[in-house]
Amino acid sequence: MKAKSARKPFRLTKKAFGVPYILFLLLFVVIPLVLILVNAFLDSDNNLTLANFKIFFTSSSSLTVLGNSLLVGVITTLICIIIGYPVAYILSKMSSGKILVLLYVIPMGVNFLIRTLATKAIFIAMDIELGMGTVIFGMVYNYLPFMIMPLHTTLSSIDKSYMEAAQDLGADKATVFFKTTLPLSVSGVISGVTMVFIPTISTYAISQLLSNGKIFLFGDSIQLSFEQGMYGVGSIMSIVMLVFVLISNFIMNRFNRQGNSVRRSLW
Amino acid sequence: MKKPVKLIVLFALLACILLPTLTACDKADGGGAAERLVIYNWEDYIDIDMCDDFEAYYKEVTGRTIEITYTTFDTNETMMTKVLKNDANVDLICPSEYAIEKLLHAGCLLNHNDVLADISAQAAELGLTFDGMSSLKRGYGNIEPDVMDVIVDMFGSFEDENGDPVKDASGRNLDMTEYMVPYFWGTLGILYNTGVISEEELEEYGWGVLWNVQQNEKLENKILMKDSVRDSYAAAVFYMYEYGLLPEGYADYSVQELINCTDDVMLQAAEKVLTEQREHISGYEVDFGKDDMINEIVYADLAWSGDAIYAIEEGDYDEETDTYQLGYYVPPKASNIWYDGWVIPKTVNNKFAAMMFIDFMCQPVNGIRNSIEVCYSSAVSKDIIRADEEACAQLILSEAFDDNDNALFFKADGSPVESEEDIVFDEAVNPILFDANGNAVEYNLDEYFDNEVRYPEINASLGVMRDFGAQNDALVSMWQRAKSGKGIDTSLWWILLVIIALIALVVGAYFIVKALKLRPRKLKADGGTKE
Repeated sequence: MKAKSARKPFRLTKKAFGVPYILFLLLFVVIPLVLILVNAFLDSDNNLTLANFKIFFTSSSSLTVLGNSLLVGVITTLICIIIGYPVAYILSKMSSGKILVLLYVIPMGVNFLIRTLATKAIFIAMDIELGMGTVIFGMVYNYLPFMIMPLHTTLSSIDKSYMEAAQDLGADKATVFFKTTLPLSVSGVISGVTMVFIPTISTYAISQLLSNGKIFLFGDSIQLSFEQGMYGVGSIMSIVMLVFVLISNFIMNRFNRQGNSVRRSLW
Repeated sequence: MKKPVKLIVLFALLACILLPTLTACDKADGGGAAERLVIYNWEDYIDIDMCDDFEAYYKEVTGRTIEITYTTFDTNETMMTKVLKNDANVDLICPSEYAIEKLLHAGCLLNHNDVLADISAQAAELGLTFDGMSSLKRGYGNIEPDVMDVIVDMFGSFEDENGDPVKDASGRNLDMTEYMVPYFWGTLGILYNTGVISEEELEEYGWGVLWNVQQNEKLENKILMKDSVRDSYAAAVFYMYEYGLLPEGYADYSVQELINCTDDVMLQAAEKVLTEQREHISGYEVDFGKDDMINEIVYADLAWSGDAIYAIEEGDYDEETDTYQLGYYVPPKASNIWYDGWVIPKTVNNKFAAMMFIDFMCQPVNGIRNSIEVCYSSAVSKDIIRADEEACAQLILSEAFDDNDNALFFKADGSPVESEEDIVFDEAVNPILFDANGNAVEYNLDEYFDNEVRYPEINASLGVMRDFGAQNDALVSMWQRAKSGKGIDTSLWWILLVIIALIALVVGAYFIVKALKLRPRKLKADGGTKE
């Protein structure tokens, strides 16, 4: 076997096309992650230390900032669902829905920084005081398309015969919705939540711009640490952030599996 | 046999990815015929034409061509990270005083006297003496003596823990003034809207204006602080100093000692006042403070003198009442004096050109040109600039045209003043100018130099801030706490509560409706069976 594999001629197989991406991943994902991990255990003179963990986990301010960020993330996600679900639902019912979805997606083509700056200018023109309210508005505004898109895809791909069957069997509109549409769209909700919650807990530019830096979220905190050359603490914060991303991914996956089983249990 | 091919493909791909980045780094080394000088300066911190002028000057003096690569940084910290890791392949850097101190102690800088010794043969051949520079052991050069004195006082010598002077590698006493030549300097103060804040208010409340101590209703939530650890800390200390809020035992410290004292007690006190301030301000600006002030989005801003001059010039001016829209105030009790200077890092490739460039920057005409362009105060002595016809001509030229590019000054023969050759001076270096009708115009050059914003009186109320060393991390943590406010934002809980209540309402409504709908159906069914 060994001899055979060594003699195998080089062919431009599918695998070969994967090499550039693997290299890219190595250079820009794996190596930075390793650097973060290494930095987390080094002090400013490059000695091994655990002090960074102590600094982060014993300071009330960093935990407060983290708590604030998580809350903002939860609120943004909830508002996005509340606004996004009905929109996606209505759009999926309309024949021209696909074009209307485009209207939601097109603004995403404009760089989010420019959009946020424009939002800020509007708030200032309307004499609205910048603060927590404006930050949440900005977050919802920026991430709403990420909620509507997966929801619309899922909702419009649901087989209409389920709803028709439910109606035929005497369910009223609300019951049809709660018993068939909602359970069948759980996977869309889950991917929407993942796409909104995870970026919101790590944003920093939006909060900084829309509150003049008064609302200080976890992303801002990480940025400040790195800017001030506190690589150790900054790395720890990045790791904490990664852990939260992983946790939320894990929970979403769990839900998603349950969502799939709901689809099956419908029968 | 074929495995090497795979490896070659892999290496080729790697090379494709890495080569451009590597060559990009190598650019600074130059190659080919032209010499190269790599400058690493603050953004928008030079009259950029100066680079071309220096190339011409260099050619004139040495007969060789040189190409300037001009790169910029936006904060001292970005620059220091690069330089401390030896990633910056540059010949000249222009950091702030505390960054210079840090780089000096990290051994990243060259003593200008040593550099001069290395290039002395070439300099002697061309007859260059570098007289403008203050770092060579010859006194002030062209640099403002008052500014130099402040620097010598603070950084002229360093003491180690035992109180002995710190020596450099060759056993001399370490003296930062031999490693740097000041470029710009200025103060920290309050940029304010003259329509909202009166001068009496400023005089009475000083730094307290940034805390809205006077409870000016228009000012509440219309104040900007700098999103910069060191400047905000300084402002907090000045405020505590003015209002007697300093912790016990610090009362007899001088301003300079206070802003350089970053022990835990002081940090705690500063955190307290900065957290309090958070309730009264609009936010922390990065770079938009000037624009927000001009657009009257905010009415007060912690600002550096150069930014203030720029904003005042850009802002409105009411000719009838002779008032500017904006003003700049440095509370007389306490403030900060800062300066940036040219240093030569150890990574220097072209020592000769680096020295020549610093000397070029110290020429009065170039000092004033930079000053006109970026609005900060040049470190070149104002007396030397004032006595220099060429420099004064630049100053007049910068104001010789109105907004529509019409000439305002004319020569004796009636032709407009368009270039420096057109300006004639008398013995006291005052220009001889005429208006369009041939009447003599009195142009007061001293007005520029008497401007207190640009050239404040340097006294003990202005303190220099040095590198905070190991306490810097504690300072940053304090700043994070102050910025994030007290605990988790309560408004967030309320918003969450409202959302959950909304969802509960919808779900509850569904169940109620369902229950209501189910009841009549049951009744009907019952009725049916009865019949």
